[in-house]
Amino acid sequence: MSTEAIPAEKSKRNYNALFGLTLLALLVLLWVILSLSTSSFASANNISNLLRQGSMIAILAVGQTFVIITGGIDLSVGAVVGFATVIAAMLINAGIPVFLAIAITLLVGVAIGLFHGFGIVKMGLPPFIITLATLTSLRGIGLLMTNGNSISINNDAFQEFSRNSFLGVPNLFWMVILVGIPAYIFLHHSRWGRYLFSVGSNAEASRLSGVNVQRTIYMAYTLSGLCAAFVGVLLASRIGIGNPTQAEGWELQAIASSVIGGTSLFGAVGSVHGPLLGAFILATINNGANLLNVNAFWQRIITGVLIIVIVYFDGLRRRGGK
Amino acid sequence: MTSTAQDLHPAPVLEPGRTILELRGLEKKYPGTHALKPVTLAFKSGEIHAIVGENGAGKSTLIKLLTGVMPRTSGEVIWEGNPAALATPHEAMALGINAVHQEVVLCRHLTVAANMFLGEENSRFGILQQRVMVKEAQKIIDDLGFDLPAHVMLGDLTIGQQQLIAAARATVRGTKFLIFDEPTAYLTRKEADQLFTLIRRLKSEGVTIIYISHRMEEVFELADRVSVLRDGTLVGTRNIAETNDAELVKLMINRSIEQVYHKEHFTPGAAIVETRNLSGKGFENVSMTVRAGEIVGLYGLIGAGRSEFVTTLYGRHRKSAGQILWEGKPVQVNSEHDAIRLGMALAPESRRDQGLCLNLPVGLNLNLPIYKRISKNLLISGAQEKAQADRQIADLRIKTPTRHALASSLSGGNQQKIVIGKWLAHGAKLFIFDEPTVGVDVGTKAEIYRLFGALLSKGAGIILISSYLPEVYELADTLHVFRRGKLVATHGFRTADHEEILTQALAEKQEKLGGKI
Repeated sequence: MSTEAIPAEKSKRNYNALFGLTLLALLVLLWVILSLSTSSFASANNISNLLRQGSMIAILAVGQTFVIITGGIDLSVGAVVGFATVIAAMLINAGIPVFLAIAITLLVGVAIGLFHGFGIVKMGLPPFIITLATLTSLRGIGLLMTNGNSISINNDAFQEFSRNSFLGVPNLFWMVILVGIPAYIFLHHSRWGRYLFSVGSNAEASRLSGVNVQRTIYMAYTLSGLCAAFVGVLLASRIGIGNPTQAEGWELQAIASSVIGGTSLFGAVGSVHGPLLGAFILATINNGANLLNVNAFWQRIITGVLIIVIVYFDGLRRRGGK
Repeated sequence: MTSTAQDLHPAPVLEPGRTILELRGLEKKYPGTHALKPVTLAFKSGEIHAIVGENGAGKSTLIKLLTGVMPRTSGEVIWEGNPAALATPHEAMALGINAVHQEVVLCRHLTVAANMFLGEENSRFGILQQRVMVKEAQKIIDDLGFDLPAHVMLGDLTIGQQQLIAAARATVRGTKFLIFDEPTAYLTRKEADQLFTLIRRLKSEGVTIIYISHRMEEVFELADRVSVLRDGTLVGTRNIAETNDAELVKLMINRSIEQVYHKEHFTPGAAIVETRNLSGKGFENVSMTVRAGEIVGLYGLIGAGRSEFVTTLYGRHRKSAGQILWEGKPVQVNSEHDAIRLGMALAPESRRDQGLCLNLPVGLNLNLPIYKRISKNLLISGAQEKAQADRQIADLRIKTPTRHALASSLSGGNQQKIVIGKWLAHGAKLFIFDEPTVGVDVGTKAEIYRLFGALLSKGAGIILISSYLPEVYELADTLHVFRRGKLVATHGFRTADHEEILTQALAEKQEKLGGKI
């Protein structure tokens, strides 16, 4: 630990920023390649579409990242999205004012998150198990509530929202910014954000240092549930129906985005910008593959390969830097 | 493998005193650091060769090179007359080089027997011969004189007992060259004695032992020769009969031994905390007082209830009976949070498990208890966060390039400074230090003791738990001795001698080591 070691340490400190820039470069590179190789990619219509597709996973990934930083996992988010579309649709169709309907739906997301916290903290269940249980049961509850049918939402203004743009940017993408900025401040500049990291790194040490570990865990899952319910509202607006089987597999996409964005599944490593970039990289791959007429099945394979490659190189860097 | 206890300890094949391993200009460079400057040294078969030096002096690097964990930068290693590459751990083991590490690297969820034979299981037609293995393992353990069961889960043993198993395991494998890296750091005196017996026995069988320790008295008790490393340089090798404490310490740190135990006496002030017949899991009926300006030492064997007592005082565990008085008033301490609010601070026993968030920055670790104070409405003041962390780093002379470096990248002594340092800005009145100098070098120890003095001068009180008698003996104003969950004796500063205190801590000599299992 002599003075010569300082340059190496400095580079490690900048590593997070560097990783973010690498992801951004990857995203831009994908966009450039697709613009050159297809005629339709660079069209305003397609870009808007891509932003809409990526936005919802991006918001899920932010919530998911909070949970993963604590060393946990939230498998329920896809099911919460589907369930939230049902709640939102039923409330709006029942004539409840849209804003109140949205607020209630978000509260349902909060309640689900609190339940996860309860299961982990009070019942001592592993996060994987308790969120797997809600994944399956929420879909079941939603199906019971709807008798397995879709509920069409009869409120045009509600559906307009997701189709419209503001300053040329789709409203759905604005929602990413709406979530992303407070999330960034929360994670990197607030006390509770620090506690998420410290609990994920060493819960016992945090506890002995006076950190309320239980509250921190409640908070992470509540925020994830809240993000998922919010995405449910956005999805209901976009497709105009409430259907509990919607958003199948989105939890895996959210986890993938988070991991591609540099979050460590062992906890204590993660950011907000990483998962956002990760989500749009995935969306770009899907979108590009469609435009290039690549078999849809290949998209899944490419996603898998991308996860392995990025996490491998990230791990190499971290180990190499030690 | 169908080994029996006999062929586990083969007759010495090596003529004692012959050179078994020779280092010629062995060197290791990391990017930016010269961890080990060319070392030339010959080890003889059947000798116990101690290696001492401060943390970061290059001891770990030397072990890693010898056990094939890391490749060397340059130099030669001659094993029994032939050059050896030592490129992989497997190669080192095949030659007969093994190591027992300070932190036990075995599987806690497997049985003792399964751990003993890990990688060399006894199986018939692919089916594990579990009962046979347990029997053989038990035989080996009994043979070594350890009073431990082979069929229990390794994790059910104390750390000290696990260490003994790790040592036993290393002897099973045709070892000719065995490295012990601070083996007694977590051992009780009794366990340490058993380990020493084992080491002497291996020596008599012609095995070469490298013994790394911070404890001088062990070096003098065991070793034939001792080599001193300082800043990656081999500064000297001595025959043990021709050297003494003072010379070695001087070689290690260029500082005299009197400067290590730095004791300042203050007139004790008002009582900060008092317990009345406090009982809980692992201890009962403990009454004691800690006053401002005094160090209260708790001495005893590991498992005597000292850690349980302080963690209960700190609200980590529930008390079952008794009373806690804080500054004269009865209080309820139901959580760590309550304790911290009152003004207690705990630097726990295990840095790794309880003290640090290793994969997070030094600065975050230092500020963890005070984030509430340096933030406004949840938002952290970046300037204060930086100022607080940098101040502790400077005051405690924590060797880190910046506050952004990960805690895991620091040496043990510097990590310990973080564990302690995070409470300094908090303004606590009662500091509880549980084994604060385990695995810490002499220089850092002296700094930590100096820090005690600084805390006392500000009117704080200290509870110091240590299994290392000289430490509590030289530092504590009041010394309480624990045995099997009870406070059995109390002494003033240097009012009893070592013998008496040891006897009180051990008492019934026949007490079973594994009695709790």
